Amino acid sequence: MPVYVYSIVSRSHPQNLDGLHGVGDPPSELRTVVGEKLSAVVSDAPEGLRPKRRDLAAHQAVQERLMADGTALPLQFGFTADDEDAVRTVLEERAEEFAERLQTLEGCVEYHLKAAQSEEAMLREILTESDQARRMNEEVRSGRGGPDLPLALGELVAKEVETRKDRLNAAVAEALGGIAREETGYKAAGDDFLSVSFLVDRDQEARLRAAVQKIADELGEDFDLRLRGPLPVYSFV
Amino acid sequence: MSVVPQGGGAVATGGGQATGNLYDVVELLLDRGLVIDVFVRVSLVGLEILKVDARIVVASVDTYLRFAEACNRLDLESGRKAPSKLTDVVGEVTEGGARGKTKGALSGVAESVADALKASTQETEERHKEPASKRERPVRHRKD
Repeated sequence: MPVYVYSIVSRSHPQNLDGLHGVGDPPSELRTVVGEKLSAVVSDAPEGLRPKRRDLAAHQAVQERLMADGTALPLQFGFTADDEDAVRTVLEERAEEFAERLQTLEGCVEYHLKAAQSEEAMLREILTESDQARRMNEEVRSGRGGPDLPLALGELVAKEVETRKDRLNAAVAEALGGIAREETGYKAAGDDFLSVSFLVDRDQEARLRAAVQKIADELGEDFDLRLRGPLPVYSFV
Repeated sequence: MSVVPQGGGAVATGGGQATGNLYDVVELLLDRGLVIDVFVRVSLVGLEILKVDARIVVASVDTYLRFAEACNRLDLESGRKAPSKLTDVVGEVTEGGARGKTKGALSGVAESVADALKASTQETEERHKEPASKRERPVRHRKD
């Protein structure tokens, strides 16, 4: 019977899964596969599992509970093993590696920060601050200027957008870099210009929050910062 | 401007947080986390379509013209409040990300998986043919 694997913890972790359920509909029941030094939290793997909201949430809820009670290595969503024996084999074969990682991550949580500025606000800022861009924009609007002018304006604006994005990224990285143990970038999507995860010691959480708040205050109301955490350490396992 | 810290310092112990802030962190679950290569991964075809990047600035004529047009339509005199005639421009610009509509909630992510499936590109399907362990992982900067 294939099993869905959620997380790997040390055998001494409480592994309290009361009130939680696994992926699938109807929800699967959670249990543990216990090895010599490590345990894996698993459930039966539902047939035809798709990444539905309830399944992502179930996966996440298991990680959050395990994180609350100790250190855990959260698996990426969607991994299944042929059976419990296959899980046990992995727990034994890679025991040293997993134990080492668990030790390194002890007392750490992940925070994820996304920052956005609406494109309109950014363009408005560029036109306000760049005399050249404003002049070209006015020329294009008035109908004067050649057919190449919109292209030149667009190129100038694109360059300004990139410059601003880089500047903001550098400022944020500098403000938070000293607080985090590690950081790892994600590809920013939509209006976001920043998407980054930080590995922080639990005793640094307040400092991180305060630093993000300070950045937010400095950036002003055109910006939207979303700090998520504490999260399972997905990005640092 | 708003900062939206979740959890308020308390570690969430249940599903409340799990469902509350999943949208912004869904790529953490899907792209990171421990990968065990002897295990099999369920198919996630179509999911990437939800994270389409509408903001990537590439040096292309299309991007330049789009920016120029957006600038032309901006009314600098009107101040910060966006005039209603701008709505269509902004909508056009951000629709690929689907983020604005689903911000802060997961609604849309899982529900639209089926829709995303239909719209999934050849490229997306190609990516999924690769084993998970070989998928490209972004560069990690380790602090000493």
